[in-house]
Amino acid sequence: MMPVFPAGRLNDSMNSGEIQELQTAAIAEIAASGDLSALDAARVKYLGRNGRVQDILLALREAPVDQKRELGRLANEFKNSVQAAVDERREALQSAASVAAFDVTLPGRWPHRGTRHPVTQIIDRAVEIFGQLGFTVADGPDIETPFHNFDALNTPANHPSRDPKDTFYLGDGTLLRTHTSPVQIRVMQSRQPPVRIIAPGRCYRPDTTDATHSANFHQVEGLYVDRKVSLADLKGDLTYFARQMMGPNVKIRFRPHFFPFTEPSVEYDFSCHVCGGKGCRVCKQSGWIEISGAGIVDPNVFKAVGYDSTQYTGYAFGMGVERIAMILLGIPDIRMLYDNDVRVLRQF
Amino acid sequence: MRSVEKHPNADKLSVCRVFDGETELQVVCGAPNVRAGGRYPLARVGATLPDGSLTIKKSKLRGVESFGMLCAADELGLSGDHSGLMELSETWAAGTPLAEVIGPPDTVFELEITPNRPDCLSLIGIARELAAVYRKPLQKPAITGVSEALSTDLSLVKIEDADACARYTARLLEYVTVGPSPDWMQRRLERAGIRAINNVVDITNYVMLETGQPLHAFDRDLLAEGRVVVRRAKKGERMQTLDESEHELDPTMLVIADAVRPVAVAGVMGGAGSEIRNETKNVLLESAWFDPALVRTTSRKLGLSTESSYRFERGADIEGVEWASRRAAQLLIEFAGAKLVGDVVDSRPEAAPLRKIEGPYQKIRDIMGIDVADETIREIFTHLGLGVLDAPSGHYALEIPSFRADLERDVDLVEEVARIHGLDKIPAPSPRAVVDPRAAENGTPRAKAKLRSVLAGLGLSEISNYSFVSDALLDLLDRGNQPKRVPIPRPLSADHSVLRISLAPQMTATLGRNRAHQATRAALYEIGRTFERGADGVVEIERLCIGLFGPVGRIGFDRHSAVESEEIFLWAKGLIEALLATMGLDAPTVTPHPVAYAEQGASVEFHIKGVSIGTLSLLNRSTRKEWRMTDPVAIAELDVAPLLTNALAVRVFHDIPAYPSITRDVAMIVSDSVTHEDIIRVMREAAPPELSAIELFDIFKGPAIGEGRRSVAYSLVYISARRTLTDDEANTYHNSVKGALRKQLSAEIREG
Ligand SMILES: [Zn+2]
Repeated sequence: MMPVFPAGRLNDSMNSGEIQELQTAAIAEIAASGDLSALDAARVKYLGRNGRVQDILLALREAPVDQKRELGRLANEFKNSVQAAVDERREALQSAASVAAFDVTLPGRWPHRGTRHPVTQIIDRAVEIFGQLGFTVADGPDIETPFHNFDALNTPANHPSRDPKDTFYLGDGTLLRTHTSPVQIRVMQSRQPPVRIIAPGRCYRPDTTDATHSANFHQVEGLYVDRKVSLADLKGDLTYFARQMMGPNVKIRFRPHFFPFTEPSVEYDFSCHVCGGKGCRVCKQSGWIEISGAGIVDPNVFKAVGYDSTQYTGYAFGMGVERIAMILLGIPDIRMLYDNDVRVLRQF
Repeated sequence: MRSVEKHPNADKLSVCRVFDGETELQVVCGAPNVRAGGRYPLARVGATLPDGSLTIKKSKLRGVESFGMLCAADELGLSGDHSGLMELSETWAAGTPLAEVIGPPDTVFELEITPNRPDCLSLIGIARELAAVYRKPLQKPAITGVSEALSTDLSLVKIEDADACARYTARLLEYVTVGPSPDWMQRRLERAGIRAINNVVDITNYVMLETGQPLHAFDRDLLAEGRVVVRRAKKGERMQTLDESEHELDPTMLVIADAVRPVAVAGVMGGAGSEIRNETKNVLLESAWFDPALVRTTSRKLGLSTESSYRFERGADIEGVEWASRRAAQLLIEFAGAKLVGDVVDSRPEAAPLRKIEGPYQKIRDIMGIDVADETIREIFTHLGLGVLDAPSGHYALEIPSFRADLERDVDLVEEVARIHGLDKIPAPSPRAVVDPRAAENGTPRAKAKLRSVLAGLGLSEISNYSFVSDALLDLLDRGNQPKRVPIPRPLSADHSVLRISLAPQMTATLGRNRAHQATRAALYEIGRTFERGADGVVEIERLCIGLFGPVGRIGFDRHSAVESEEIFLWAKGLIEALLATMGLDAPTVTPHPVAYAEQGASVEFHIKGVSIGTLSLLNRSTRKEWRMTDPVAIAELDVAPLLTNALAVRVFHDIPAYPSITRDVAMIVSDSVTHEDIIRVMREAAPPELSAIELFDIFKGPAIGEGRRSVAYSLVYISARRTLTDDEANTYHNSVKGALRKQLSAEIREG
């Protein structure tokens, strides 16, 4: 309960401090009233015919002349602000009464909730990030010629990747592309440097399906050709990508490797975004996560598309979309990406 | 091992008397190779195996007491060998701690060697890399006591195909004593994954690991006429290889033969008929160079992949052939008591001049994007064994040794410098800020991303199926497209034997599978390429497929009452209309259209500006039955390209009405044969342009209306862009609409 001033202080007139104190108490009591009848009781108590406001008016009447002006202002303020508090509280109590009529805990009724497949989410994100660096998206067919998939990419005629064990041939001289690199060739055949493209797409290899292999998978290919493009540019751009995609502190590591279409060639790893490189389950305690291959475009590739390798250099990289999706989203088995189980899809 | 006796109660167990240097113990053992006089690792009572799996206790096996355990190599964590007890050299005294026998703990590095670096398939090759990294001199084993002099007697080796076998050396050794090789050699071989066999074979393998040059030792007494012929296999010729499998050879294969028959598949595996035996005395040691492509095809054909074929396939060093032979001869003299007979037979072409590569240092720095001093680069070249020649200032000139066939051009040298200097030293600068005006060309991917977002916003979940599918699944939905399908000649399985010609079959299967997983509803879409054979080859078409089942469009709580065909069809139609509108397209016209997998009369085609963009169907009963789906399923298939045409177009502002509108309703009874579209068309034709909107708000069927008829009600909104319409004007318009409905559709207008 609020402090109540003892009645019968008629001879002991209220001073200005007491009026203000009373006002504070009245507003608090009004705000705390739980229903309309409690509110009305409080209103009568303070503003009613026999309410406390009468004490104030009495004090005003009895006050010396030099204090009348000040006490008059306080009396007015008391009446106005207490009345405003009553009105506000009444509004609140009335509107609460009008919405309390139904069960607000019932389930919501908007049934539409869609999700994006993790693979296309990663592709769109990669396109967006490289878009920030001025890369345009390029596209090519799934069914390719050996020229675009192998020959122009400096892959020797007897290279093991051409074996029917590693490539789906369609029997009419065409094949299902084994990587998105043929898009590089198509782009370079159609335009002159500088070239900055990114080519996401589906690829195919006759791999027996297991937790990390799928005969049908997606890659994102990147190509940047200009004057004096270096391994450092490659590392810088991949670092930018990795930090945008995986997290702000991710670093890139190069390891020497060999691909027919790049010289020098590297494999690149991301430092583990989960443990920051200290070692954890995700990175198999190594602190690093293997991503894919990259390198400086081999002069023989430029020759195949008619670029002058004395004027231009370029870098190219690939990345496995499913692999990044699995690492980033914690998906344990690549097959889950193609099972299309709504219990999985709903999560992304 | 003092003695071995058969266990009285178990055929496969032996009771052994073992001397541990102090006392004699009884140990029961199950290994097949235990024999009196042998030396074996013994775990005494109280010992724990390295993996912690077992602490040896005194025990009883089938009634015989045992005081320890004799160990196989795998039980000691030394190799994967569990074929028998680990045999130790008989030179060790009983009771020697095993740690002394096997030597200090070792570290095994597993290296992934890229196919361009066959020189690194050897210890010397790796040592050369390390020498360059640490800038230390490379030390190869010194060879003494083996003559390099060439034999003039060429009858020992005859090469019939000098392209396939460009170099062949043979050394003859006599007085060979076959036995176990030294423990250190066995250990190193085992750690490299090669099983120790006997000193002669082990030495050839050991030198292969050292040098990367595969070697082969023949028992010369088993060679007809004691000589070898390098030739193509004859058609139908057969041979048993060392792994005891029998092969039929053909003329694409190169063999080493004696005077009569093949004794080895060149570069792949030796034959069982000429192998080193315990009683072998005279050895012909082969070290040769075989054509990589030929070894590869032979190895594939025979299904034999060996340490030897692996190295020849990637290219052995033709100039290293004799050195490896000399090194093996030295070890045979040292560890097999052998004596050389005569000089080395070396059949080879003239040594080719070494390749030279020249170029500016600056290009190397430019490609790496890092500053490395000329001097440092030169130092790296030197330590990698490249011959550094004089060159003009700012340039290098190199002589490339034969073991580095991968170095052909100046760009090939960049990796040498980057690798040795350290790829970690390459910086990761901020991306170059270049604005490419062509970046604006990303229209199609942006439109496609929008399409996906809109579909998600409409409540659909995206799926992704393989591009491969089975004929059987395609047939279930549509046999008619068989001639246009694109089969995969060598599929991984029958389930993946053809490229998909439509997304609908896998969508149907996906819905069915989720149904089987107790999903009560699903609203899915997939965007993917389909493949069909056209007149000019295979055409790839990107399509959008939408699949619905269950009460996906129901907003109320009613999830249990059956979904009606009409209901799910209209949900699908509504969402396609919303999709098209959001993608900036005009409202489509929709016409009935047969679809192979549709229920009779429940399939339509969408057109925009007269161009078909796809179909919507309810899946027919027989197809649904395959997945036990009893309730209706809606499947739509649309072409993606037309959906993207207007997605990014800028919309132009249209005035919103400045004057109030007047709404008039019309309710009527029409025959079931009159469609909603008929009614809309008649209304539009009869009304002036002031008719701005028509909305259906009621449909009713029932006995009160009569069989074959239904009651429908519409709200029509009239508005003028120039002034406020009067009630009279609106009534006039509305009356002409009603008149037309009566006249053209025989509608009974319900007044009041
Ligand atoms: Zn980690």
